Amino acid sequence: MTLKRQLLFVSLLTLILPWAGCEFIRETELALRASQQQILAGTAQVVANSMSRYAEEFPERAESFYRVDDSLYGHPLETAPNIDGYFDDWPLDESSLRSLVGEDSIDVITGVAGDFLYLFVKVEDKNVVYANAGSLVPIEGSQPADRISFVSTNPPYLEERFWFAAEAPGPVVTMLPNAFGFEPEPTIRAHWQDVPGGYQLEARIPRNRLGTHLGVIVENAASPTGQSAQRASFTLSTPGPFVTPSDDLAAIAKSVVPPGMRLIVTDTAGWRIAAVGDMQTEKPSDTTPVSTWLRFAYNAVIEPGKKPALADPDPGGRERQAYVEAALNGQRLAAWFSSTDSGRAVVAVAEPVTSSNGMIGAVIVQQGSDAILSLTNRGLARLMNVTITAMLVVAAVLLGYATVLSRRIRRLSVAAENALESNHLHVDLPSSDSGDEIGDLSRSFGFVLGQLGDYNEYLRTLASKLSHELRTPLAIVTSSLDNLEHEDLSESAVGYTARAKDGADRLRKILSAMSEASRVEELMKNAEVEKFDLATVVESTVTAYRDVYADREFSFEHDGASFPASGSPELLTQMLDKLVDNAVSFSSSDDEIEIALSSANRETCLSVSNPGPPLPERLRTQMFDSMVSMRPHEDNKHLGLGLYVAKLIADGHNGSIKADNIEGGVRFTVVLPGG
Amino acid sequence: MAKCIAIVEDEAAIRENYVAAFTREGYRVDAYEARQPALEAFAARLPDLVVIDVNLKNDVEGGFELCRDLRSRAADLPIIFLTARDSEFDAVSGLRLGADDYLTKDISLPHLMARIAALFRRMDAMSKPQSAENRISRGDLDIDTDRMSISWQDQAVGLTLTEFWLVHAMARYPGHVKNRQQLMDAAQAVLDDNTITSHIKRIRRKFVAIDEKFEAIETVYGMGYRWLSD
Repeated sequence: MTLKRQLLFVSLLTLILPWAGCEFIRETELALRASQQQILAGTAQVVANSMSRYAEEFPERAESFYRVDDSLYGHPLETAPNIDGYFDDWPLDESSLRSLVGEDSIDVITGVAGDFLYLFVKVEDKNVVYANAGSLVPIEGSQPADRISFVSTNPPYLEERFWFAAEAPGPVVTMLPNAFGFEPEPTIRAHWQDVPGGYQLEARIPRNRLGTHLGVIVENAASPTGQSAQRASFTLSTPGPFVTPSDDLAAIAKSVVPPGMRLIVTDTAGWRIAAVGDMQTEKPSDTTPVSTWLRFAYNAVIEPGKKPALADPDPGGRERQAYVEAALNGQRLAAWFSSTDSGRAVVAVAEPVTSSNGMIGAVIVQQGSDAILSLTNRGLARLMNVTITAMLVVAAVLLGYATVLSRRIRRLSVAAENALESNHLHVDLPSSDSGDEIGDLSRSFGFVLGQLGDYNEYLRTLASKLSHELRTPLAIVTSSLDNLEHEDLSESAVGYTARAKDGADRLRKILSAMSEASRVEELMKNAEVEKFDLATVVESTVTAYRDVYADREFSFEHDGASFPASGSPELLTQMLDKLVDNAVSFSSSDDEIEIALSSANRETCLSVSNPGPPLPERLRTQMFDSMVSMRPHEDNKHLGLGLYVAKLIADGHNGSIKADNIEGGVRFTVVLPGG
Repeated sequence: MAKCIAIVEDEAAIRENYVAAFTREGYRVDAYEARQPALEAFAARLPDLVVIDVNLKNDVEGGFELCRDLRSRAADLPIIFLTARDSEFDAVSGLRLGADDYLTKDISLPHLMARIAALFRRMDAMSKPQSAENRISRGDLDIDTDRMSISWQDQAVGLTLTEFWLVHAMARYPGHVKNRQQLMDAAQAVLDDNTITSHIKRIRRKFVAIDEKFEAIETVYGMGYRWLSD
């Protein structure tokens, strides 16, 4: 992993900052919500206490055997609808309709406006069976027909029924029994309307004709002669208590509701018996514009509440939210409704209302709020902004710093490599004058390279110095031996002398090889630059090699007619000698040594390849240095100067030399600039 | 009367060996270990040939100085440098001072003797009239093997003894490639590639000085050199 990536990785740690910020915001938000809910709960308690003083205004506790569904709810109607069989003039939503349990859909709703109770029933019936004149009321002998009965009772008294049946769509007359039979009741008005797939009935009944318990029964006849089925809004034999908001209670509630809040009062079953007050929807006075992205970020962090619409009074009349049901069970719960769209929220608290006789209902107090409370806190928003900015700055600075650091180190390493490669080891490395660790590294590098350079220089000159110093003692030895030959020597002494001469001769050759490098350097300095064709030179040289190294095959390939070169052909021949000598010593008898010339990009490439053992990786960079030999130790004729001389000559011609392992052998390549 | 060779060499062992060798060959030898005593002796009487080491103890360039002094006094006196210094620069400097040969100390005694004998032969030939039978002519080239002199287009080419032998070896059989060993044998010296290259370069330069179009010596890369006759 690069240093840059490492530091980038480390800089990820700064993500802790926004994470901590998020945690902080979450905590703050929760605390703020809790405190708001607590305040509201206090208010709700006060309201509940006030309401408990008006216990008599609450509907009497329903008998326990009635189920909640047995009751009908009288929606308060602001305007009285026309009795026309249609629902669209009711000031209510369709969702307020209550569906009866059963196969075909039957929707029922009752409303209260002034002294009248309004009834609307919508029945899905593919086969509407109208009554005939004699069967408007279900008496003995009457035909089965589609009929709706409204049941009213005042337990424990007997129930009274109002039948609505039609001979044809249109106004319906309700027949009530009198002493002599049935007569039309003028105060009750109703209208039967056919709609696709069924019929609708709308009716108006004076409230003074009705009892406390009301219900609806729908009779559906299959045919004028067949059976008819009944479905009712209640499950028992008699209907449950009728619930409708009380104006008195509303007046009392109005007096206790604090401004800016909505107060809903329910009975013990959760039926809404009063709803007063409006939630303030005004924006907070301090309207700091909050950027969208920040709001988005907040929403991601903070747990959103339920939809605010759920806080509104239930269209069916019965409050069924969990917090209300909890209150009706004697517990106090708060709820949080929020909208991400409007940025508004509703806090709601339900509180049971108790009198001396036990629980008589519940109050629900609702208050509007900002959806994200902490957003209204300017300091917090600024803290968040600052944290995020700080994180970005830290990450950017770390990244930049990492880039600078890694670039410095890379430059240092590149410079060191270049120095090693070009053999100019006394160089100024980058960063060598800076005081930090990289500077130290650079200075150490420089020192080591310098030492290496000195050592290389020492090695380079060692050979020629040594050969120079050894020449005089060698001259003493050889001249003495030459003289000795002229003395009268015993046979054995002649042998010794001959051996001594051999040894001296070998020593001379070694010394001569050792000083070769310095002589090549000298020659190169003084050499006149000649223009010549390298191919001709190599061709002729290769011919010579075939004679000299009779036990090797030589091949010479070139891809062009001529290879113009400039320099000293003698020196280049000498270089080729060294390479071929090297190739011969690392190959075995009858191996083929390939010599090739090619040109590309105005450069001439001369290569010598031989089969043989691969180059040891360890020596790849040093093999062209002075006195470095890869040969086995027993081969002591070579001092490791051949390739050094070859490199000297290649360098002297502004070229370069390199060695590569190839399939089953080694290839030396000299690249020379074209003539 | 025996020829007199003076040897100026600071290294006693070498000096003694050379004295012994020269004496054995029948020469009279005067040995000096420094420049000053040699100069004093030469002032009284000049030897017939001088062998000088360049580096004389603390007198680093003493041999060159001595050569210059001697050459100024005797233009024809054969002077041979015999030194451990093998650099091209030193060789050129020595030859420029008028030395007849510049030899490194790794030359064998028989080779040295052959050279000295050759130099004396040349001296003797100079004093005799030219004889046609010892002349070789190859186009523009004329070789007088007695006097060991060479002329190109009738102009004398001032070659050292080694150079003469190299040219002689090549020109005797024009068109034949002479390899390193053959040239070494002809020049009575141990020569490596670079030394031969240097010698050939110097020879060419001397010919080119006379004739800019001189191209008679051809390098046969990897093999050797040959003389091209027209």
